[in-house]
Amino acid sequence: MNSRLIDKIREIVGKENVLISEEERKCYSFDARAHGSVPDLVIFPKSASQVSEVLKLANEHNFPVIPRGQGSGVTGGAVSISGGVVMVFTKMNRILEIDKENLIAIVEPGVITYEFQEEVKKHGLFYPPDPASHKYSTIGGNVAECAGGPNSLKYGVTRDYVLGLQVVLPTGEIIETGVRTMKGVVGYDLTRLFVGSEGTLCVITKIILKLIPLPESKATLLVFFREVEDAAICVSGIISARIVPAVMEFMDRASVICSEMANPIGIPEETGALLLIEVDGDEASVKAQVEKIIPILKEKKASEFRITYDPKESEALWLARRTLSQATYNLNPVKVAEDVVVPRSKIPILIRKLEVLSEELNIPILSFGHAGDGNFHVSIMIKDEPRDWEKAEKAVREIFKETIQLGGTISGEHGIGTLKSDYIDMELSREALITMAKIKKLFDPNNILNPGKIFPKYMKF
Amino acid sequence: MIKTAVIEELKKIVGEGEVLTTKEALKAYSYDGTTNWIREPDVVVFPKNTIQISEILKVANREKVPVTPRGGGTNVSGGSVPWMGGIVLCTTKMNNILKIDKENLTCTVECGVVLQDLNNALLKEGLFFPPDPQSFLGATIGGIIAENAGGPACVKYGVTKQYVLGLEVVLPTGEVVNLGGRTLKNVVGYDLLHLFISSEGTLGVITKAELKLNPLPPSRKTIVAVYDDVTKAGETVFRVLENGVIPGKIELLDNWVINRIEEMMPMGLPRDADAMLLFECDGIDEAVQKETEKVVDISKKYGATDVRVAKDTDEANRYWMARRAGFAAVFGKAKTVLSEDVTVPRGKIPDLIKKSKEIAKKYGLELVMLGHAGDGNLHPSFLTDISNKEHYEKATKAMEEIIYAAVELGGVLSGEHGIGLEKQKFFTRVTDPKVVDLMKKIKALLDPNNIMNPGKIWE
Ligand SMILES: Cc1cc2nc3c(=O)[nH]c(=O)nc-3n(C[C@H](O)[C@H](O)[C@H](O)COP(=O)(O)OP(=O)(O)OC[C@H]3O[C@@H](n4cnc5c(N)ncnc54)[C@H](O)[C@@H]3O)c2cc1C
Ligand SMILES: Cc1cc2nc3c(=O)[nH]c(=O)nc-3n(C[C@H](O)[C@H](O)[C@H](O)COP(=O)(O)OP(=O)(O)OC[C@H]3O[C@@H](n4cnc5c(N)ncnc54)[C@H](O)[C@@H]3O)c2cc1C
Repeated sequence: MNSRLIDKIREIVGKENVLISEEERKCYSFDARAHGSVPDLVIFPKSASQVSEVLKLANEHNFPVIPRGQGSGVTGGAVSISGGVVMVFTKMNRILEIDKENLIAIVEPGVITYEFQEEVKKHGLFYPPDPASHKYSTIGGNVAECAGGPNSLKYGVTRDYVLGLQVVLPTGEIIETGVRTMKGVVGYDLTRLFVGSEGTLCVITKIILKLIPLPESKATLLVFFREVEDAAICVSGIISARIVPAVMEFMDRASVICSEMANPIGIPEETGALLLIEVDGDEASVKAQVEKIIPILKEKKASEFRITYDPKESEALWLARRTLSQATYNLNPVKVAEDVVVPRSKIPILIRKLEVLSEELNIPILSFGHAGDGNFHVSIMIKDEPRDWEKAEKAVREIFKETIQLGGTISGEHGIGTLKSDYIDMELSREALITMAKIKKLFDPNNILNPGKIFPKYMKF
Repeated sequence: MIKTAVIEELKKIVGEGEVLTTKEALKAYSYDGTTNWIREPDVVVFPKNTIQISEILKVANREKVPVTPRGGGTNVSGGSVPWMGGIVLCTTKMNNILKIDKENLTCTVECGVVLQDLNNALLKEGLFFPPDPQSFLGATIGGIIAENAGGPACVKYGVTKQYVLGLEVVLPTGEVVNLGGRTLKNVVGYDLLHLFISSEGTLGVITKAELKLNPLPPSRKTIVAVYDDVTKAGETVFRVLENGVIPGKIELLDNWVINRIEEMMPMGLPRDADAMLLFECDGIDEAVQKETEKVVDISKKYGATDVRVAKDTDEANRYWMARRAGFAAVFGKAKTVLSEDVTVPRGKIPDLIKKSKEIAKKYGLELVMLGHAGDGNLHPSFLTDISNKEHYEKATKAMEEIIYAAVELGGVLSGEHGIGLEKQKFFTRVTDPKVVDLMKKIKALLDPNNIMNPGKIWE
């Protein structure tokens, strides 16, 4: 980028909102997992109209623009593939409105998920989408990825809470989509087309969110099983008893061992699977749900369980699950992480397949995640050497193949970005991909907004 | 007019017996759930599977013949009326429930399955599909998805969109694509799935759907709250929610509707009440008990003159039957009914009701108010007669004012009935031209020859 262009951009967003030095720009060349190219410029816009002006320039001068929240994504979405301008939203971080009567809120994209959740809590309200990264991810990033979390069986994912958006199209037009109401059919659903579009169809500048009343209380249960099949049967048992827990987190044998080594909490040695269950609601209903769950646990061969109604003690029960992600690095320094989803009843089949694969390739493969909605995270732990990378690549292909065969999907919440784009055609048909590519071209004729994402490399734009 | 050779081709695709061209037959497929718009197709076809639909669309696309998909024909916005003639593609013979998966709480159905049939099948398994348009006796899953229909249960459970996991769709050019999947989460590529939901048959034909189901709540209770002022009823709605209770249903009926119901089937509703609210709390026993108490307290606090809790299922069923009869009562009572489908933020319900009453008064019209108050979705209606030009014009004008009032209150034109033919004029007026333009481009992209349900939404 030449200096005149840089000056123009500095004029638009203000000097203080531009990073020019190489060291500073470097910090924006990776996300939580992928490394990309160092951007030519990093800017922090303050309004939709600034975003619009920069995008118009980008079309004129043909440079890429990459929207970015906190860079906590794990598929390379917020990372440039070749220079350009990284547009960071952390300075558009105001909660504009919390409307108690109508149970909605309006926020700027840079608001941190956790801070927003805490703020609405003060009003007795609840914003359920709860990615494990909530302490640092932005709502804008959550919307762009359609983030999920442990409670989505009962409460749904980010998509279910986005009522409307203000976005800037790649060509610079500012538009508003959706509604402030609980219902609304007013033409095509552009709002949901934008949710999960990974910053490739538009830049999100304002978000109207749906809220719900905060459940009064909850109970947490930590349950151990000898075999993964028993855990799966238990999950089905709970659901067929017409109980919909808010959380049903799952850890397989490898995960249990790994976590127990790092943070021992006294998990019985022969444990082959663990479930962390949470039910919520008013006090009476929480008690009633727990009373129904306990006999099911006993009947379905749980080897041991712990239970608490106390939020503080609940933290202790969560410990194994919460610290697991970090503990995996004790096994090997590099993580290749997948985010597959299969119909709930197929979980044991996939887990067994992973055990076999791990043994065959002789690398640790751990899986843990959201049993309620069949979404789990497979961590393939390797050393940073070509032979291991090869093995990981092979494992990923196998896992995806099996997942799709079981009626599943290769990404439940992390998106495609650059890291998964080579696999997307394993799941989507040619026709579907071509239709999506046409939509991308329609919105972004010059391919300036977050290019090189989602689509396989052989598709040209 | 469609060429006879094309009709012959259609016969080859679906079979002679599945093609209708007689005058009576064409007439039967010329209108929707109202009779506000009438236009006859040239031919009606009843495909039996996805391949046949793909073949039909290929022919239509080649010949540039309009195709209007049709399920039960129960919509009330003109969506299924073949406005440009051509082919009506009726899905009622694709009505197989392919799979009910109890373990994963999902089912796979063909597009022509009637909601009531699905509900009956699910009931046997202890499951339910929450979206509950009150036309369930005739509405098909395809039509419900194409309109993103809702119903009373949407306060708590959300609309159709929240229950569609995957779709098989035939594009206007004949390609078959699968969108979404069978799982609760899926972020692979752009969300075309939701683009097709609520597209009113203008982007392609939905042939198969994978739906998310809920376990049937083990317990439920119905509460009736009576008011001497409909605006107080409106306020109660959002006060209940504000206090942390989300009932399964909250419906509003006004004095006029109460009286028509009493005439049709006397059941002891308070005939002099200005309005009543009908609540249903559902869930596990203990929670229902507690929610019911809260609803009773809050209703009283905000001005209900009488609050009853139905003592058994029989009594509860009677109230809900009354509510269902409500819509029919309105439509049965006049030659022409202008019934709107506006949705406002819940806190604005009282304002909308007040405003609508003022408007009705100004024009000297009788206003009927009913609807899914819990999500702010109301159906204000005027009874009129399209052949009485003066009266009809007055009613149309008054309704326009109500729609604009709703939009001004932060609301939308349509909560669940769609734009179709009915709301085109308003749609282009209240929607940012840039947004309309974008939608038109998406339409042109997927349907280059504009064969799918032309003349709808914005034309
Ligand atoms: C430890 C850990 C745990 C995680 N757990 C979960 C989990 O449980 N569930 C889950 O879903 N994800 C999880 N993630 C992934 C990640 O946190 C989410 O994808 C999150 O939504 C990203 O938010 P962000 O603000 O960091 O976005 P970024 O990483 O900065 O960006 C993500 C994508 O969104 C786009 N984007 C960002 N802001 C905008 C905007 N304003 N307009 C348009 N596009 C924009 C970017 O271009 C990029 O494609 C986890 C990540 C980590 C590191
Ligand atoms: C008495 C009564 C009560 C009602 N109550 C409600 C209510 O509570 N909530 C509510 O939301 N609606 C309600 N409606 C409206 C109507 O029932 C719904 O819109 C319903 O979803 C229509 O379903 P259908 O099968 O009859 O579709 P149709 O009326 O046949 O078609 C509706 C639209 O969908 C398209 N379509 C149909 N099938 C397909 C397909 N397979 N693929 C692509 N497009 C297709 C058509 O082209 C048309 O645009 C009510 C209607 C009546 C008459």
